[in-house]
Amino acid sequence: MKTIVEAKRVKKIYGGKGNVFTALDEIDLTVREGEFVGIMGPSGAGKSTLLNVLATIDEPTSGEIVIDGTSILTMNEEQLSAFRRDKLGFIFQDYNLLNTLTVKENILLPLALAKMDVNELEQRVNEVADKFGIQSILDKYPYQISGGQKQRTAASRAIVSKPSLILGDEPTGALDSKSATDLLESLKSLSEHDHATILMVTHDAFAASYCQRILFIKDGKLFTELVKGNLSRKEFFHKVLDVLAALGGGASDVI
Amino acid sequence: MTLFDLAKKNMRGNFTNYIVYFVSLVFSMVIYYTFVSLQYSEQIQQNILLSETMNFMFMASSFILILFVAIFILYSNSFFTKQRKKEVGLYSMLGLRKKTIGRMLFYENLIMGFIALIVGIIFGALLSQLFSLILIKLMGATADIDFGISLEAVTQTILVFMVIILFTSIQGYRLIYRFKLIELFHAEKKGEQVPKVSVVSAVLGLALLAVSYWLILRPFPEELTNEYIQLNYGLAIVILIIGTQLFFRSATVYLLKLLQRNKKRYYRGTHLIELSQLMFRISGNARTFTLIAILSAVTISFFGATYGGYYGNESRAKEDSVFSYSHLSRGQAFDSQVESIIKNDKEHPIKAQLDLPVVEADGELSFPLDYLIEPTKIISQSTFNQVSEALDREEHVTLMAHQAAVIKPRATEWTEETFKGQDVSLKTPQGNHHLEILNMVEGSVLPFHYPDFFVIVNDQVFSELAQTIQPLVYKVYEVEDEKTTEATSKMLDKLVGGDFQTSPSFYLEYKEGKEGNALNLFILGFLGLVFLAATGSMIYFKQLTEAHEDKPNYEILGKIGVGKTDIRKSIRKQTLFIFGLPLLVGIVHGSVILHFISRLMSNLIGANMFIPMLTAMSAFVVIYFGYYLLTVTTYNNIVNK
Repeated sequence: MKTIVEAKRVKKIYGGKGNVFTALDEIDLTVREGEFVGIMGPSGAGKSTLLNVLATIDEPTSGEIVIDGTSILTMNEEQLSAFRRDKLGFIFQDYNLLNTLTVKENILLPLALAKMDVNELEQRVNEVADKFGIQSILDKYPYQISGGQKQRTAASRAIVSKPSLILGDEPTGALDSKSATDLLESLKSLSEHDHATILMVTHDAFAASYCQRILFIKDGKLFTELVKGNLSRKEFFHKVLDVLAALGGGASDVI
Repeated sequence: MTLFDLAKKNMRGNFTNYIVYFVSLVFSMVIYYTFVSLQYSEQIQQNILLSETMNFMFMASSFILILFVAIFILYSNSFFTKQRKKEVGLYSMLGLRKKTIGRMLFYENLIMGFIALIVGIIFGALLSQLFSLILIKLMGATADIDFGISLEAVTQTILVFMVIILFTSIQGYRLIYRFKLIELFHAEKKGEQVPKVSVVSAVLGLALLAVSYWLILRPFPEELTNEYIQLNYGLAIVILIIGTQLFFRSATVYLLKLLQRNKKRYYRGTHLIELSQLMFRISGNARTFTLIAILSAVTISFFGATYGGYYGNESRAKEDSVFSYSHLSRGQAFDSQVESIIKNDKEHPIKAQLDLPVVEADGELSFPLDYLIEPTKIISQSTFNQVSEALDREEHVTLMAHQAAVIKPRATEWTEETFKGQDVSLKTPQGNHHLEILNMVEGSVLPFHYPDFFVIVNDQVFSELAQTIQPLVYKVYEVEDEKTTEATSKMLDKLVGGDFQTSPSFYLEYKEGKEGNALNLFILGFLGLVFLAATGSMIYFKQLTEAHEDKPNYEILGKIGVGKTDIRKSIRKQTLFIFGLPLLVGIVHGSVILHFISRLMSNLIGANMFIPMLTAMSAFVVIYFGYYLLTVTTYNNIVNK
C-alpha cells in the first residue's frame, strides 16, 4: 500500500517572546492508503493543530509534511488552493456549508471548481447522495435541514471529488448517536470498500472505535498508538477507554 | 441598573457592530444637510426664484434625496437588526420582559440617531463649506456664496431625521413582538424569499417606464406654467421610480434564473458561488438597484446640465460676437490705431483679418415674417465665403444674379422651409432689386445687432448696390487663444464702444456669460456632487455590510480549495453585476431626463447640448468605475485577507 501522509518532526509553536506555547512537539505520522486513522487526546493536546497543519490551513513552525508524494511546505498560496481542491476532503464539526447554496450545489461545489463535465458531475453527486442517504433533501437549503443531514452533506462534499485524503475534525461532535453511527458507518465503508484514506480527530471513544488505528497525543507529543487488528469494535472501544483513562481527561466525555 | 444604562452599555460594548450602521446614518445626514444648506443659502434662493428650471430641479432633487435618505437608513437599519436578532432572542430567553426589551431597543436607536445627527450636521457644515470653495474656484465665479451654518438648514435636517429615527426606533421596539423567538435565533442564516417571476409585474414595470418616458418627452405645452411642470414631471418621477422597482424585481430574478438554468455553465468554476450569492439577497438587490439607477440618472442629468451650461456659454458667446474683435471702420487713422493695438498683443497673433462691406437697404419679403427687416443688411457672396473660411465653417454659398440667400437671424427658430422659394426685394434709390431666395444658411458674420437680418447676394449684384448706397465697412480680426484676451479686449471696448448691441470682442462676451451663469452652474454642479456622493455611498456601504456578512462563506471556500485569485475574480464579477445593471438603466433614464433638460436649457441659452451631455455621461461612468474599483478592493480586503 502506498503512503499517503508522511509527516516528520512537525513542530508548531504559538506566541512570541516570553509567552511561547508548543502545540506540536516533533510529531511523526505516517498514514497509508485506505487507512482509517483516529487522533485522540485531551483538550489542548494539539489534535486540531495537527489536523490544520495537515490540511494546509495552518503552517508548521518546522518539520516536513508530504501528502500523496507532494511536499506541502514548499507550495505557494495558489498551489495550496489547488492542492486542497484536488487532494483533500474536509468534514468539519460545524459543517461549513454555504447557506446560499442548496444541498446538491454544496456537494458539487468541489467538482464545479475543478471544472468537471456536467454529466459526470451529476452522476457523481447522485452516487454520493445515495451513499449517504440524502437524495430526498438535495434541493433544500442548509438552514432547512437537521444537523445530521448537514453533516452527511458535508461528508458527501468531502468525498465527492475522490480526494487522496479525507480529514475530519470532530465530525460527530454535534450529532446525536444515531446520526453519528450512520456517519461513522459510512466513513468505515468508504475506507474498506473504496480504499479512501481518512484521518479523523475526535475526543469521542465511540467514534474512535470505528478506526483501524488510533494515535493518542498529549501535550503536543505522540503518547501512544492503538491498532484494532482483529479485535471486535466493542473490544477496541474498551481498549480506547483504558488508554484515555491513563491519559487523563477526555475519558469523562464518555459515559 | 436602569434600562437606559443597559441600552448605553449595549452600544458601548458592541460598538464595532454598530459602527457600519452609525456611519451610514451619518453619511446620509451629511448629504442631506449639504443639500439643504445649499437650498437655504440666500443668493441661491434668489436665483431659484428667477429660474423655473432651477426651481424644478430643486423640487425633484429634494424629493429624490428624501427618498434616498429614507430608504438608505431603513435598509441599513434592517440589516443592522438582522444581525442582532439573536441577541434580542437571548434577552428574551434570559427572562427579560418583551416590553423591557422593546424599550431598550427603542432607546438605543434613539440615542444612536441623536449622536449621528449631531456628528452629521457638524460634518455637513464642514463639507458644504469645502464644496463651495472648490466649486467657486472651478467656476471662476465672482459670485460670493456664503455657506454659514444656516439655522433653517439645521432645523430642517433635524426635523426630517427625527421622523426617520423615530420610525426606526419604533420598528426596533416592535421587533420583539413581530417575530417568534425561534425566528430570532435563526435570523442570520435565512436567505431572502426569491420573488416569483411574474409576467404581470414585468409588463406593468415596462408599461410604467414607458408612461413616465412619455410624460417627460412629450412636447412642451404652449405656455410652460409652474403647475404644469410640477404636476407633469412630479408624476413622471413617481411613475419612473415605481416602474424601475418593478422592472428590477422581475428582470433580475429572470436573468439570474436564466443563468442558473444552464447547468453546463452554472456548474463550472465559481459561477455557482456568484449567482447563488446574488440570488440570496435578491429583493434587497432589486431595491438597491432601483435606487442606484434613479440616483445615477439624476447625477448624470445634473452633470449634463452643468457641463452643458459651461459649454453652451462658449458656443453662445462665439455665436453672438463671431470674431475675436470687430468694429466699424471710422477712417484710416482710427482703423490703424485699432490694428496696432491688436498687433501689439504678441500673445494672441492674428489668424485672420477681414474687411466686411455691408450695404443697408430697406427690404421687403413676398410673405409676412414676424421680424424687423428694415434695414436689411446685405453682404456679398464672397464676403460670406471669406468669413466661413476664416472661422473654419462649413457653409459656402454660390448664387446666380437673380438669387439671394438669407442668414438665419440669431435667437429665432426659422428653418429653410420658411424662406425657400420666396422672394425678397431690396429698395435702392435707383429702383428695386427682385431676388429669389435660394436657401437659408447658418453662420452670422458680425456681432449681434438687432435687427439681425442679413441677405447674401451675388458679387455682381452687390457691386451694383454698392454704387448707389455707400457700404459700411466692418473690420474683423480672429486671433489665437481668444479666450484669454482680457487686456486687449478691454482697451478696444473703450475705443470702439457701441458699434453693436453685444460687446465688440469675443472675450468680454464670453466672460460676461460665464459670470452670469456661474451661480446656476454652481448649483447644478453642487447637486450633481451631492447625488454622486449619495450613489457612491449607497453601493459602497451595501457591499461593505454584505462583505462582513459573507466573510464566513469565503473562509469556507478557502478551506475547500478556492484560491485567492479565484475569490478575487468572483468578487469582481459579483460587484460588476451590482454596479453594471443599475448603471445601464440609469444611463437610459438619464438620457431621457437629459433630453428634457436640454430642451429646457436650449430655450434659455440656445445651445446644442448633445456633446456636453455625452461628456457628462462619460465623466459619470468614469467616476462610477472608480467607485467600482474601490468597492472591489475593500470587499476583497474584508473577505480575502
